[in-house]
Amino acid sequence: MNLRMARLLMRLYPRAWKDRYGSEFEALLLDASGGIRAGVNVVWSAVCEHIFPTQGGNMDQPAYSFRTMLKRPSAFIPLAMSLTALALVLGRVAIFGTGPEVVVNGRPDEGAVAHLWQLLMAGQLPVLAFFAIKWLPRAPRQTLGVLAVQAGAVLASMAPVFFLNL
Amino acid sequence: MRSTQHVALPDNNPEMGHYSDPPLLVLASLASGPKHGHAMIEDIARLCGTRLGPGTLYGAIARLERVGWIEPLDPEERRRPYRITGEGLLVLRAKIATLQQFVKAGTERLEPL
Repeated sequence: MNLRMARLLMRLYPRAWKDRYGSEFEALLLDASGGIRAGVNVVWSAVCEHIFPTQGGNMDQPAYSFRTMLKRPSAFIPLAMSLTALALVLGRVAIFGTGPEVVVNGRPDEGAVAHLWQLLMAGQLPVLAFFAIKWLPRAPRQTLGVLAVQAGAVLASMAPVFFLNL
Repeated sequence: MRSTQHVALPDNNPEMGHYSDPPLLVLASLASGPKHGHAMIEDIARLCGTRLGPGTLYGAIARLERVGWIEPLDPEERRRPYRITGEGLLVLRAKIATLQQFVKAGTERLEPL
């Protein structure tokens, strides 16, 4: 793997991890055969390091703390989907304003942004349901806290649609 | 019911039979002496045919170091070798004993098939 690619991949890791392992890991990446497989492996490992840190994070925190619950994929994926939906709506308003719907082949259409927004909002429902069903019985208080944050994100992404009549 | 007796084993599939438990593989590799990352990858590949990715290897190293089963040595240029600790050796012995038990029981179950 070349130096440029190695440094680019290294940037994906958290600062605390890079401070500890950065130099030797970069040396390993330069030694290793740098196929796509190795690159994907490093990207995936960097994501895991952000979610379950071995350096700088508190590995001794309780398994069911609010922060640990929030790091579970079924907790942060709906949040990410809501925030993406919000960003899409705000981007559309910033670029095109709150103008009329698009006309495609003579028929009115809501436009690609609206369809993406609907997909993101509907797509997170099964994940939300999974999170609630799995974690409510085990850690009700923390799960309710995460569900409240998720509900806030959903409302935030719905607010511009209703208030601006998009 | 479908019998397992005449199912052809895909002998030509090199992925079959690979064992992947990165922390255990790192401990097993360091049991033969201190090594740096690249040497560990090559040693593990020779040991069981599994080639760990660089991210997977350092994920395992970070966790093993955190629990005190391996420890870093002084770096050689930019490469840092690691060695297994006494506690790491105990863990490795215990895990190998469990695996031996598993292999024995598994082999006995396969014999009549």
